[in-house]
Amino acid sequence: MKVKVIVSILVFLFFGFTLAGCSTVGKVREEKLQIRIAEQYGLAYAPVQIMKEKKLIEKYLPEIEITWRQLGNTAAIREAMLAGELDVGFMAIPPFLIGWDKGMEWKIACGLSSSPVGLVVNKDNIKSIQDFTPEDRIALPQPGSVQHILLSLASEKLWGDPSRLDNLLVTLGHPDGMNALLAQREVSAHFTTPPYLFKELENPGMHQILDGREAMGEEFTFIVGVTTAELYQDQPKVYDAFLRALEEAVNFMDKNPVETVDILAEAYQIEQEELLKYLEHPDMAYSLEVKGVMKFADFMQKNDYIKREPANLEEVLWDRNDK
Amino acid sequence: MTNKDSSRNKIKTRLFWITIILITWEIMAKSGAFPEAIFPSLLDIARALGDSVVSGEILLQTGFSLVLILEGFLISLLAAILMSSLAVSNKVFNGLVDTLTAIAHPLPGIALLPLIIIWFGTGTLSIIVIIVHSVIWPMILNIMTGFRAISPVYKEAGLNFGLNHFRIIKDIMIPASLPYVLSGMRIGWARAWRALISAEMIFGAVGLKGGLGWYIFKQRVFMDTPGMFAGLFVIVLIGIIVEDYVFAAFEERTVKKWGMI
Amino acid sequence: MGNDLKDEEDNFRDRAVTIRLRSVSKYYQSSQATLRVLDNIDLDIYQGEILAILGPSGCGKTTLLRQIAGFDHRESGSLLMDGQEIVKPEVKRIMIFQDFNQLFPWKTVIQNVVYPLQVNSIGESDAANNEIALQYLKLVELSGFEDSYPHQLSGGMKQKAAMARALTLKPKVLLMDEPFGSLDALTRISLQNLLLKVWRETGVTIVFVTHDIQEAVILSDRIAVMGRGTVGIKKVIPNLLDRPRVVGVAGYAEIYGYVYSLMDINSER
Repeated sequence: MKVKVIVSILVFLFFGFTLAGCSTVGKVREEKLQIRIAEQYGLAYAPVQIMKEKKLIEKYLPEIEITWRQLGNTAAIREAMLAGELDVGFMAIPPFLIGWDKGMEWKIACGLSSSPVGLVVNKDNIKSIQDFTPEDRIALPQPGSVQHILLSLASEKLWGDPSRLDNLLVTLGHPDGMNALLAQREVSAHFTTPPYLFKELENPGMHQILDGREAMGEEFTFIVGVTTAELYQDQPKVYDAFLRALEEAVNFMDKNPVETVDILAEAYQIEQEELLKYLEHPDMAYSLEVKGVMKFADFMQKNDYIKREPANLEEVLWDRNDK
Repeated sequence: MTNKDSSRNKIKTRLFWITIILITWEIMAKSGAFPEAIFPSLLDIARALGDSVVSGEILLQTGFSLVLILEGFLISLLAAILMSSLAVSNKVFNGLVDTLTAIAHPLPGIALLPLIIIWFGTGTLSIIVIIVHSVIWPMILNIMTGFRAISPVYKEAGLNFGLNHFRIIKDIMIPASLPYVLSGMRIGWARAWRALISAEMIFGAVGLKGGLGWYIFKQRVFMDTPGMFAGLFVIVLIGIIVEDYVFAAFEERTVKKWGMI
Repeated sequence: MGNDLKDEEDNFRDRAVTIRLRSVSKYYQSSQATLRVLDNIDLDIYQGEILAILGPSGCGKTTLLRQIAGFDHRESGSLLMDGQEIVKPEVKRIMIFQDFNQLFPWKTVIQNVVYPLQVNSIGESDAANNEIALQYLKLVELSGFEDSYPHQLSGGMKQKAAMARALTLKPKVLLMDEPFGSLDALTRISLQNLLLKVWRETGVTIVFVTHDIQEAVILSDRIAVMGRGTVGIKKVIPNLLDRPRVVGVAGYAEIYGYVYSLMDINSER
């Protein structure tokens, strides 16, 4: 009897430590050149798609092995990077800052895009965020998302109280949020991005009462590329190739609009005409420049979304030339 | 007596293994093999749990979830009994219930979520709809199996005493199928929890008022891993309490006392 | 001897008939063929008698009893109780089954016995019903087990409780489907004696289905012998042995032998 118990404990512990062991072994990176990137859909990620389709990283580093991973949302990407399963993820600045605040060893490598972000309502009598009643519901992806932070910024500007509208929030992914808005039930507003933003505005009775830049009070980068310290420090060649490739992708989009539309229409399953309209939207811009980090950080720290604030941009941004 | 001994033994075994698991956990957390954000130490989890309890947040959200789940569960139980009773009373209705069950039972509630949002919105009503959907079909299946398994002698004795159809169902078929109803309730309870937590994690909460699933989701998006484990701990705790104290006690006082299982 | 018995059967002629069966037939339709379970059964059941229906398994004796109870539909024939057609189960004919699990397991013994009284609003109050139930539990010698649950009782005790439950409604006829068939021999004898005591004290008419010749001879006033197949009732034999009867009293062997010979036991197998 006793022997059995001891044996089962030993077996249990063995599996436990094997698990722990696996992850330690996994940390010892092979010398092989490789990069693992989270792929996401949406116009804001267009240069990533171009980089993938045109095999631009391979162009700079032919022997590299690239793994494209599809993950559902920002939280999943962050968790995968934390677990050492991803080297590069693309996300908005606030979720990045939350991870940085929690001690994740990552920094922003580059900007990717600026995008229209809009608060669409389905009621004529709502003309600004002032007109929400306690019965209204505002759908957005999740607390701590860029949409949530932007709404908080707007609330702070208007009432000096960033959480004023928090009681109205409903967490919904973009497609569900759009459905809920169009269903005209209790959800009366949706804070979203293209293509959902454009699709919603095409429906009668829908109008936009707030956009991202207005809420932020300045221009900001919507999506940034984030890489782990591991990639930056241990694989400088890969890191460099990745950045060059992304830069080339942005340039490519600028210079070859026709081929760009071809590639993206195919990848996103959107009509070419429609896609062109989206890409030509004045607020839709692609650039590696990073804007707005400190403003977000400042605001988020003041309002307890994060506990510490970067003293300067270098704390959260990889320096391209310090290798 | 033996019953008490065996339940004491069960508790002992549980406590023993829980201790072992916790020790292993702590060793692994302290070994540094994983980042703290993946594998927080027990102290951090306990602290997160303590903080949430003190601030009342986790209690409120647990209460919120429990109220929803109880509502959904009771609605499902009554509706399932009603539908099963109608099904055994009427051939046409039997066909309808049978078909509905065959169609709806394999559908996970989460798969219906987009539809439910369009039809019922994103409020508590939708969560209750998902819970009811998750619970009612296995419940009906169990109750119908129970009804079919009833010895005809009970029904005939009832008929002989002059019982009408309604009293046959109420006084004989329902108590006689109680072991099946009970196992339907167990399955239903587990499915209701899953449905609730997943629904809350997907369309979260209205405002700050959400349930446990929402609590866990919120800890996730703000990367508070110890907080996430605190939420999971509460779910496990409730699961054990309901199984060992609610269902087991109910079973002890009914079907076990009556020698039906 | 056959003639003697024939004459004795006449003794019953002037007794009141409670239940009268004429040309009762029951078929089971299978995909292949029609199985005649009961074919043109004629039978009179006299008030206050114990009628044993005796036959091998599969002879249709249970089907016949269920017909009398009103549980099953019949294809043709008439089945009258006190001049009225039997179409459904009624409280004036209560069935006791062979199955020990005919008591409701979720009710205590007393609750089981009280239940039919409540359903039919017999007593003025619950207390009155309880009083009636206790009285019948005493009659079947089950006092002291009122608050036990059925699963805590032995098979014999369960059948006693079932008898008490059946008797509370003061039925005119008690229909018993091999109620002691699953009991051990000693318990069976004691329950047979109990049944006779109950019969004497209540005067209830009893139709008792059995496949045990000895049981039929010990209990009954008449024995309806059924054969295998569609033979129906071969013969109804009066059984006028003096009571109390035990195996081996004068005349026992004769009647036993006669019934035995009617059942074609050797030729069947």
